[in-house]
Amino acid sequence: MSETGWVPIALSRCIAPGTSAGTAVHGAEIVVWRDTGGKAHAWEDRCPHRGMKMSFGFVRGDHIACLYHGWEYDETGTCRYIPAHPDLEVPPSICVTRYAVAEAGGMIWTALPLGEMPEVGPNAPEMDGLRSLYIDAPLDAVLAGLHTLALQVTQTGSLITATLGETRPTLGLHSIDADHSALHITLPSDTPTAIRLSLLDQLATLRRDVEAPLKETAQ
Amino acid sequence: MTQLVLHNYDLDDACYRVRLVASCCDLSVELRNVDMFPGMEQVSPPYLTLNPLGRLPILETAEATLRQTGAILLYLAGLDPQKRLLPTDTSELAQMTDWLFFAEHDLSVATTARAISIMDVPGDGPATLAQTRALLRIMEDHMSAQDVKGLGFFAGAEITLADLALFPAFALSRDCNIDHDAFPALRLWARRVRATPGFIVMPGIPDYH
Ligand code: FES
Repeated sequence: MSETGWVPIALSRCIAPGTSAGTAVHGAEIVVWRDTGGKAHAWEDRCPHRGMKMSFGFVRGDHIACLYHGWEYDETGTCRYIPAHPDLEVPPSICVTRYAVAEAGGMIWTALPLGEMPEVGPNAPEMDGLRSLYIDAPLDAVLAGLHTLALQVTQTGSLITATLGETRPTLGLHSIDADHSALHITLPSDTPTAIRLSLLDQLATLRRDVEAPLKETAQ
Repeated sequence: MTQLVLHNYDLDDACYRVRLVASCCDLSVELRNVDMFPGMEQVSPPYLTLNPLGRLPILETAEATLRQTGAILLYLAGLDPQKRLLPTDTSELAQMTDWLFFAEHDLSVATTARAISIMDVPGDGPATLAQTRALLRIMEDHMSAQDVKGLGFFAGAEITLADLALFPAFALSRDCNIDHDAFPALRLWARRVRATPGFIVMPGIPDYH
């Protein structure tokens, strides 16, 4: 995939301090986690020990521990502690691959190609995260569905702003793999609850419409 | 208080729901461990006398033998002097009951999917998995809406029996390869459930502390 630049991978509010979650971008698995100090991290979702997903692990302070054998990594991705050998000075070569990470517009972002560390962060307007909507369809199909449902759709990079009913959300476009995508949905912070709820319903309809033809062909 | 006896199998998620609710209500229950797998003790003659349905959990009280998980959960929540898992508001109580039935009835397919996946029980693996994912998605959509309303749990602002009845299916879904990536609202909710006083885990649900 030749896409470059910043891509959203989660809503900021969905990754609470001290938690981790797995995702993928164009099929490459990523663990997104937030240390207890509040800083977000995006790493390859693979423990250097035996390849367990780091996203199954748990956060301890500014370390993330693997669920399998408890190896702990610090915020630079370097292994610091191996429970089976508590007295061992861990060789600094045991590292998880880190990717660029930034927070803007209520979303957590990483940069493509993975491993690239851009100097300038993503540009996104200040917004409130509503929900991340996961859709079993390629991003192209989601975009086509959005163009059918919404009015005045404008896209800049991985962000789309569209008029849906009485509101104008900004959606972060996230291609998980060839068959799965996510929309990270954000709204201006003064949006009333009733409008937020009706937007949730419209987006659930979008998901149903986009997935329906794919389910039929699968049968 | 009279002694409660739970006929229990540690790896069974319905038995876990009962242990979890008892623990969160601070009730002591005597456990009789049953060799459900591979022994199939729950269909042995003495157990069929206790429960002709041939399954667990079974709760024996001084007055009755209860064998529907939902009924056992309601009974335990009612025994709690503080009734901390039962809303007093009629509408919240109805919503709790709605999700309790969802957990006990609809979500039973998640138990089947997991049994097929980890215990090699015969069945349509792919179909039960797809149904389980669809049900988790209904839960995710609901909790996304609850978030918007500022409500942290399935039936309202406080934890109820519904949350504890629903929790195992989500927490155990990785056993059948349904990871939690696509369920951010449920991840946040599960964290709140884990923070409940008395919360306990079962094998397959990691204890992070
Ligand atoms: S695989 Fe991660 S610690 Fe062993």
